[in-house]
Amino acid sequence: MELLTALAIGSLFAVGIYQMLRRNVIRSAIGLIILSSAINLFLLSTGAYLGTDPAYDGAANPSDGLPQALILTAIVISMGGLAFVLSLLGVISARYETSNMDEIERLTR
Amino acid sequence: MNHLVLLPILIPFLGAVIALFLMRAPRWQGVWTLGVLGTAVTATSYLLWTVQQTGEPVVYYGGGWMAPFGIAIVGDLLGGLLALMSQVVLLLGTVYALGAKDKNVRYPGFYPLFLMLTTGLTGAFLTGDLFNLFVFTELLVISGTVLTAISDDKYGAEAAYKYFYISLLAAAFLLLANGTLYVSYGTLNLADLAERIAQNPDAPLLTTSIALLMATFMIKSAVFPFHFWQPDFHTAAPTAVSAMLSSVVVKLGVYGFLRMTTLLFVEQAALIQTLLIVLGVIGIFFGGLSAIGTHNVKRMLAYSTLAQIGFILVGIGWGTPLSIAAALVFTVNHSLIKAAMLMLAGFMASRASVKSAAFAVVTGLGKQLPVAGVLFFVGALALAGIPPTSGFISKMLLFNSGVEATQIVVVGLMAVGSLATLIYTMRAFQRIWWEPQVDATIKLKPAGDKLIAPALLIGLVLLLGIWAEPLIQLTDATTVWLGRPDLYITAVLGGG
Repeated sequence: MELLTALAIGSLFAVGIYQMLRRNVIRSAIGLIILSSAINLFLLSTGAYLGTDPAYDGAANPSDGLPQALILTAIVISMGGLAFVLSLLGVISARYETSNMDEIERLTR
Repeated sequence: MNHLVLLPILIPFLGAVIALFLMRAPRWQGVWTLGVLGTAVTATSYLLWTVQQTGEPVVYYGGGWMAPFGIAIVGDLLGGLLALMSQVVLLLGTVYALGAKDKNVRYPGFYPLFLMLTTGLTGAFLTGDLFNLFVFTELLVISGTVLTAISDDKYGAEAAYKYFYISLLAAAFLLLANGTLYVSYGTLNLADLAERIAQNPDAPLLTTSIALLMATFMIKSAVFPFHFWQPDFHTAAPTAVSAMLSSVVVKLGVYGFLRMTTLLFVEQAALIQTLLIVLGVIGIFFGGLSAIGTHNVKRMLAYSTLAQIGFILVGIGWGTPLSIAAALVFTVNHSLIKAAMLMLAGFMASRASVKSAAFAVVTGLGKQLPVAGVLFFVGALALAGIPPTSGFISKMLLFNSGVEATQIVVVGLMAVGSLATLIYTMRAFQRIWWEPQVDATIKLKPAGDKLIAPALLIGLVLLLGIWAEPLIQLTDATTVWLGRPDLYITAVLGGG
């Protein structure tokens, strides 16, 4: 189980970072989504697998509830953030008529 | 009594909610925002005064759970001082927005978002929990981005995208740091973490978490290798917003570095401090030279922030009580000066018939606007550190602390770097207020933004330059407090 989790986290990080470095702005936004999933999985692995039972009062072998609470908060925040990223991308691709990062560089003049 | 520390966060938050209901009356919304921020400044000053009088931080435990389990909001001298500084600048930012002619300040969401920005920034300074810090910075980032995206600059959306993307990346780093520290020490409370890190400095993921936190705060403060988003962003943001972002929001990273070196990683501080000195000196030179090479006043001031943050980082990096006090004075003074300068640049852009702060547009426009010229000149002197302004006090303290710490080489480099400040600010002044106009098609508009806010800020700058005693006493007390992390830990974990 640990090996599987580690492999999953590692490959998600790799894919996320590779996508972030692409020239296409939409691909890089997708990379950000994958990266935030990788981080959520990492947070889950910091304590949730220690126990076998759900975290409630009186459980025999409770798992750690805090990472789950952290992930829940992080998911909500990243969902809001990503929705805003996508809406900004909509505006940008309509205005510049391209999704290539090199052509969206009018500010630096 | 402990609920006092909640007021600086709750007042702007509730104010933002109520301001949303005033959407149909933007004028009333603005006046309401001014009132809310005025109340918040009063509450924060009272908090700071209480903390200074009693010598104890005010700690609030969320839901009545004690510190390592519940979320603690800690109002100590450092958090209170920075929160007060931010709220004063944000209050004057509202004054500027009320007198601005921009279309975007009429946007119904402008003032609620402005108040949310205040909430996020104050909360980040006052929280005692690492995950809570993440939540408040996200709040800050999202409101800051939307405020930029509504800019009437053509490239507002592009700038907002750059800022948001890089900030989400910083948030990812912060979340990863949360995870690594939690898996190593089983807590996220700053005081509890500090205690456990001191007890067990050999956890394998400790260095990783330091690196991740460094990266987060470097992105937040736009420190040299992570600065690339900042000039674009500050050029395109509306003036009232960019004046806030370039002055107080970048101080979040400074706060983070101070907490890291004086509370969380006291044992490992030497490594962080060395890095901060190196990056600070690089930032001073890079920022100064880039500011000399720009063609836009706002962009020049954004690069200048890069250099000034460098001075602050070097002060934190020396780590002696004198230099930390000097860095704090520098932080407060730079916020006031930079906000005033950006407002003046925005004022010039608002008076030009083509709305831009580029030198090609604003050169020579200042001849009929002598009041703005005087204010800009005083601001330029303050930025370069020439008496009788507060910039002189902060630079003098910083150089003095460097000589005390026998860091003569770094002090020399900084002195050379601050010459660059004098060059670019004076060149901007000369172009706008002395030289003849280059482009005769650009006309002066009869009315533009109001000068009240920058005038008040410059007044504060002069006041703090002539009567610097209270601020210096406060920062000295803060430095003494920062030197005793054990007191912070007992106050949060042991107090009731």
